[in-house]
Amino acid sequence: MAGRKPKVVGFCCERHGMDAAVLSARSGKEFDASVRLVQVPCTGRVDGMHILKALEDGADCVFVLGCLEKNCYYDTGSIEGRKRVEYVKQMLSEVGVEKERVEMFNSASTNAWMFPEIVSKMVALAKKLGPIGGEKQ
Amino acid sequence: MKAASIQVILCKCCTELPAVLNIERLRKLAEESCNVVSVMMVDAICDGKGLPAVVNNAKEAEVDRAVILACHKKDIDPALFKAYRRAGINEFMIEIVNIREEALLPHASEPERAQLKAETMLAASLARARLLAPLEKQTEAMKTKNVVIIGAGASGQAAAHAAAKTGAHTILIEKTGKSLKAPGIVMPHSQVVGAKGYGGNYQLTIKAGDKIENLDAAAVVIATGGGWTQLKGPLAKAVKDAMPLYKLHEHLQAGSVPKGPVVFVDTPDPTGKTMKVQDYAWDDTLETALQLKRKARETQVFVIFQEMRAFGLSELAYKEAADLGIKFVRYDKSAVPKIDPKEPTNLIVKDFAQGDVLSIKIGTLVFSSIPANQDNQAIADALRIPMSVDGGVRRGSIQRWPVTTPRPGIFVCGSALFPKSNEVAKAEGEAAGSMAGEFVAKGEIEFGGSVAQVTQEKCSACLTCIRTCPYEAPFIGTASKAEIKEQLCQGCGMCVGICPSKAIELHHYTDDQIMAQARELLGGDF
Amino acid sequence: MIVAKRKPLNEIAEMVAPYKRVSVIGCRSCVAICLAGGEKEVKMLVSALKVKNKKEGRDQEFEALVVERQCEKEWVKEVEDKVLGSDITLSMACSLGAQTIGDMYPSHVTFPGLNTGIFGVPEEQGVWSEKCVGCGNCIIHTTGGICPISRCAKSMLNGPCGGSANRKCEVNLDTDCAWSAIYDRLKIQNRLELIEKVTPAKDWSTSHAGGRRTYVREDAKLTPHQKKGKEAIQ
Repeated sequence: MAGRKPKVVGFCCERHGMDAAVLSARSGKEFDASVRLVQVPCTGRVDGMHILKALEDGADCVFVLGCLEKNCYYDTGSIEGRKRVEYVKQMLSEVGVEKERVEMFNSASTNAWMFPEIVSKMVALAKKLGPIGGEKQ
Repeated sequence: MKAASIQVILCKCCTELPAVLNIERLRKLAEESCNVVSVMMVDAICDGKGLPAVVNNAKEAEVDRAVILACHKKDIDPALFKAYRRAGINEFMIEIVNIREEALLPHASEPERAQLKAETMLAASLARARLLAPLEKQTEAMKTKNVVIIGAGASGQAAAHAAAKTGAHTILIEKTGKSLKAPGIVMPHSQVVGAKGYGGNYQLTIKAGDKIENLDAAAVVIATGGGWTQLKGPLAKAVKDAMPLYKLHEHLQAGSVPKGPVVFVDTPDPTGKTMKVQDYAWDDTLETALQLKRKARETQVFVIFQEMRAFGLSELAYKEAADLGIKFVRYDKSAVPKIDPKEPTNLIVKDFAQGDVLSIKIGTLVFSSIPANQDNQAIADALRIPMSVDGGVRRGSIQRWPVTTPRPGIFVCGSALFPKSNEVAKAEGEAAGSMAGEFVAKGEIEFGGSVAQVTQEKCSACLTCIRTCPYEAPFIGTASKAEIKEQLCQGCGMCVGICPSKAIELHHYTDDQIMAQARELLGGDF
Repeated sequence: MIVAKRKPLNEIAEMVAPYKRVSVIGCRSCVAICLAGGEKEVKMLVSALKVKNKKEGRDQEFEALVVERQCEKEWVKEVEDKVLGSDITLSMACSLGAQTIGDMYPSHVTFPGLNTGIFGVPEEQGVWSEKCVGCGNCIIHTTGGICPISRCAKSMLNGPCGGSANRKCEVNLDTDCAWSAIYDRLKIQNRLELIEKVTPAKDWSTSHAGGRRTYVREDAKLTPHQKKGKEAIQ
């Protein structure tokens, strides 16, 4: 099935994460359309369940994008977010699913070039790993 | 429960949207979607012209929620929410979908994929919109009109004047005993040592002299300025004729020119042991160096710096400085300026740009920046606000909220953020003072809305939320279960994501809402 | 409280693999508080297993449930239908919960999802340490309030042993020597004379060594008459 497009979900915090995505679009940067953004107030809101559920529902890769850890709007939010992602990674490796499918990123809202890089990295990974359980999905 | 009835608004973004996307297909999809009772197209939702028609349509169609396909939510005019409110639709029942920056702009070269993505986003937002619930904000009266300003320097005084103009009672808290004229009350020899409460109703603990006093404050402005003004570290031992920038400025005003060559360094401790918020020279360095060079053309002038920040048009000064022959040397933290061991009157600097090692004779050493105020940490701890890595107070957002902190009712200005010139500090002080004044003038605090709430039957009282929350909003209530103090809750949802019993839910970002949106987004194939 | 830890997911997946319908039951008491088997962990576990099944193309149904205290029959009763409606139950409570379900429904297979470890206290968020082994005969009034049975690797009663060096335990150099701690505590309390007192060999008959223990409080027990009344109501 050559035509299958990768599916990547990005949980972006309402502060720096989503602003970085918006800024990169406004600065004329293009990124792969496969990425689906879900806004959360803070990456600390992201529950491991949300990430696992997205994988269950058909995502090839999931990323969480928050503020820089030392400049998080909610102080410790993006640190919490990272810990949630790490726990999910651990669970995935326990069940034998590539833990690279889930990743945490941090970006400043003023950083326009970072978001397209994150997207291309995750989309390339999604293409390389393919869907969980193979093409039959 | 009554089934949702949704109004869908398609914003054409003038001509941008139809240029890439097939808006008719979007309209058709919206019309065919479950629960959608009205679909409307507008030229541009942001200009406000179409707003009355949109709201009338919502009234006629008797919808209880709306999905608006437009651009970034933060750039939507609050007037939209007000207009909907008049039509009886709660602001939390309006879902704004950023079709412009998430599908239209970044995928313009692949219109078909962009179209499919936009359609999927519409479906996902409808799924989310069906799960939305109206939320009412609550209010609480402010007990005082006090604006407490910490620090009576340039920015603090400017803040006091600005806040007083709005009718607030200003109280300046100054650590030293310096006399000054400012509106309202000035408390010399005082420091803030503790704080309770939340934006609008803070109770500060002030150490005034030897006494501990309590002070109610509706808003707080942090104007602590910079730290010490003496040379520190090995340089202090070697160099005797060193002065801070403002001293040199005073000398120049009085007509005296210091002994050349004059060397400007960015910090009073270049060896880096105490480096915090001082690693750059600001625009006043340029101005003063220029004044000096204009007065004494033969005096050699060096500016040694790691980072240089010139504010606005003061950047023009670079050109004149270059023309007049002021030498700029940029160094890196890995090779800080040192006294020449062979020639104790010389400073060795490695030029970061050229790689040359220069030995500069010091006539007069001027340090142009000041470190972060040592008191910042204590004040930040007392007010529970985050600090930046370099020892300054952190602001809410550099673009949107340059003089606010993430905590409502606490503002910050001047060198408390990072070192800056007098003028900029004053301008920021005015901004912070007027914002604090405006905040107090409202007379009441609005809270609630998108905040966390505990389902007590599920709560195990495990204290995890209390340990995790950076705002101390959760507490164990009389029922021995966790509760959330809504006035303190900032709606980040950290407690919600970590609660092991899933007993906490964040309004407007519930698990169901987040997961429904993600599931629907994954449904589309593009 | 009882502190437990989730078994590795591959182990759990292997246990439940032969069964089609799996009910996963968490508990809102100790294991929720020690972040091992509350509602969140149950839901994440189910989700992770589903992702695994998706990868391996296995078809299994999961039901995520949670009860207030799985070690008590009355609470388990609330989810009886769901338990019996499944082919197998994975208990995400401590072993007590798993055994309660097992005892209630002997023909129904119940597996443990957690490894039940210790009677411990949270030292900080995410760190739990053992402070009691349930020996059934508490002596901490003589040891400055510090339990040498659980906190000393050798359960010394007249410690420390010769392996104590620099206040650390020879069995694990990251662990403080319990007897150093006891000495310090007694010193603060001005009760150092206790350390010189020789404690005779402990009576271990109250501990697990004597076999399964049952604690009974006669006055709290319901009389046959009362029990009958209860049954009549139910």
